[in-house]
Amino acid sequence: MHENRRQILEMLATGKITADEAERLISAVEKEPSNGASQPNGSDPQPGPKTKPKYVRVVVDDNGKGTGATKVNIRVPMQLLRSGVKLAALIPKAAQEHVNDALHEHGVQLDLSQIKPENLEELVDQLDELTVDVDDKDVKVRIFCE
Amino acid sequence: MIPYSAAIRIRNERSHRTQRWIIPFWLAGLLLLPVALLLLPLIFLVSAIARINPFPILHAFWQIFVALKGTVVEVDDPHCFVSVEVS
Repeated sequence: MHENRRQILEMLATGKITADEAERLISAVEKEPSNGASQPNGSDPQPGPKTKPKYVRVVVDDNGKGTGATKVNIRVPMQLLRSGVKLAALIPKAAQEHVNDALHEHGVQLDLSQIKPENLEELVDQLDELTVDVDDKDVKVRIFCE
Repeated sequence: MIPYSAAIRIRNERSHRTQRWIIPFWLAGLLLLPVALLLLPLIFLVSAIARINPFPILHAFWQIFVALKGTVVEVDDPHCFVSVEVS
């Protein structure tokens, strides 16, 4: 694994890849389970059970046309999402109907009354694997869990 | 684990100096306590009229507050920089 990291860092130093690409490659190398080839002394611990990510990160890098670069870095605890969806589940029935109507008007076929707290919990749990990369000419957006 | 404090950093174009504030939540709580005590009867009255149980809602808000620990928001603009970190 160290060899792979060194190669990535060398590629970054020579300018073959960008810092973002290097970060992605290193995280991919770190995530990769040991294939038995890179443990010369066999002292590395066995890959344990996958740890649950604690945060959702949103990183926005806007180059800005002539106005200068803007960077936004947001880290939201997963627990906050869980608490938020629990609060959403407490919306009274009368309000739910209004929300449903508004959603239908905008073409979103979602019935809030069908959403149960346990479903929302499952939904948040599934965010573990979420990665969104938007790579535009001027703006880069990354959403991932860590 | 409840969050203890919020660290706020602000730097603007004019002053070029970073202002830092650390706001302990116990102090904010202490200052807001009289307001909360005044609002509590009103909340219960409105809940009774609307036939809503206020306790799950208060519990959900408390959970949101507790879950705030570890939240970081940073905006770095050429004109200003704002960072809020709850710890």
